[in-house]
Amino acid sequence: MIVNGVEIRDSFAEAFPMVGTRLIITADTPDWAMTAARVTTGFATSVIGCGCEAGVERVIPPEDTPDGRPGVAILIFAMDFKGLKTVVPLRLGQCVLTCPTTACYAGVEGGKRVPLAKTIRYFGDGFQTSKKFGDKRFWRVPVMDGEFVCDEDTGSVEGVGGGNILILARSRGQALHAAEQAVKAMSKVEGVILPFPGGVVRSGSKVGSKYKALFASTNDAYCPTLRGVGASALPEEVGSVMEIVIDGVSFEAVAQATRAGIEAVCEVGAARGVVAIDAGNYGGNLGPFHFKLREIMGGGA
Amino acid sequence: MSVVLRLKAPLAARLDLEGLTPAALAGKAPAEVEAIALPHGGRSVALGELFAIRAGTEGRLVLEGGDARLDGVGAGLAAGEILVEGDVGAHAGRGMAGGVLRIGGHAGDELAAGLTGGRIEIDGNAGARAGAAPSGARRGMAGGVVLIRGHAGERAGERQRGGLILIEGDAGAEAATDMIAGTLAVGGRFAPGAGRGMKRGTLIARATPDLAEGFADTGTHDLVALRLIARRVPDLAGLIAAAVRARRLVGDRLQGGLGEVLVLEEGAASPA
Repeated sequence: MIVNGVEIRDSFAEAFPMVGTRLIITADTPDWAMTAARVTTGFATSVIGCGCEAGVERVIPPEDTPDGRPGVAILIFAMDFKGLKTVVPLRLGQCVLTCPTTACYAGVEGGKRVPLAKTIRYFGDGFQTSKKFGDKRFWRVPVMDGEFVCDEDTGSVEGVGGGNILILARSRGQALHAAEQAVKAMSKVEGVILPFPGGVVRSGSKVGSKYKALFASTNDAYCPTLRGVGASALPEEVGSVMEIVIDGVSFEAVAQATRAGIEAVCEVGAARGVVAIDAGNYGGNLGPFHFKLREIMGGGA
Repeated sequence: MSVVLRLKAPLAARLDLEGLTPAALAGKAPAEVEAIALPHGGRSVALGELFAIRAGTEGRLVLEGGDARLDGVGAGLAAGEILVEGDVGAHAGRGMAGGVLRIGGHAGDELAAGLTGGRIEIDGNAGARAGAAPSGARRGMAGGVVLIRGHAGERAGERQRGGLILIEGDAGAEAATDMIAGTLAVGGRFAPGAGRGMKRGTLIARATPDLAEGFADTGTHDLVALRLIARRVPDLAGLIAAAVRARRLVGDRLQGGLGEVLVLEEGAASPA
């Protein structure tokens, strides 16, 4: 399958079940809401080393947030519910509570409950107060700029982690440009995050390593400087590869983001150095979710 | 059966309707409904003797015309709806756990005492101790919503420990005495002595009430919580409206309490 001179390889991304939640962070200004969102989702590129994967989902206009102030929705994913219950209050306490003017609200209604103010409220040292209207409780914790308002807890979803595309291009600049266009397009899809820096990962990994202590190591088949050294997936004209990893609240959301990314890369086209689009997988035996590139693009073999 | 009741004549003595709910009437034949015995004055009287009864809408009990001697209307309601097109007596909605009770006229003392859930709306005034503890109980209403479109008598919200009371008119003397938690909002004025012994909980007012001794004035603040409440609680949206600032008084400090009185300040947010 070739679109605008770009080969879409007959491959698939292999993804895994993750448990996730959404937080809605508001602040007095859009900048401070985004600052809190960025800090809260910092150091959260891969569960391998960060314990969770997190990112900014979207900006929410004041009229759509719980308190009528500018807001940002973030998604946080962990490998299991226990992990999620650990990382969310930690990040909330260190990054949202501390950030000037912010408040934090549940962004998911259903599912198992992930504690928010339920644990952070103790920072109030007895001066915290809660209000419960209907079946929703929120807390007000006195802080030096006023009060930190935060919902008691949030719901959770069974999501999908590790969807991905690989962009093969002639040069590093061209691969990066195509990846940036893909990130722009994919960021518009609701219910997904691209957890790596700027949405792009240049150090894609394979499972395992020659070193016993490592679970993952460099994806040597896609390293251009190793072409010819071992089994390579790169034709001669490819000089650089960038990967975009996608975590989402559902299979559909990840599939939609994959499609948006591929379309954007194809739009850049062979004329601007894109050679092919591939995807990372482990032979199909490890992850239950398979995103077949050609199927997603509505093409046959 | 679902029924519409109409008093045949003004009551000569008090009548206790506690437990007469849509659920209690469901599945009963008309003759069985007529035979339901009710405490009336010092004796027991059949429902059919006092009321003209006809079939109504499923899940709803309607009382056409009220009477200030009709006590316990909606007491024990857990689901469904009770509509009263007139006045009711004492203990309306006592111990209610769910459903809706609408009263077109006035209500007597101890409206919504011990309420744990559901919604009560009255178009007229409420008597003393709305939302307070029922006789013999230590704590007042714990949940649910009470909307009083008229005025409320003395000690509304006494020992309230949850839920929302909204009084669109004025609140009588010593409102929220010994309040434990929950919210009491007043669109009109508070009579003197509100908040004595408050432990926790929130009073929302439009003008600074003549509070009991023991409240610390923390000044006026831009409260994010007000913006949240205005959007999340439709019943309070009208009262809070555009107010994002409020004067916050905390008490009753004489008893170590951390209750609060929020006096809404209309107008713009604090300067950026």
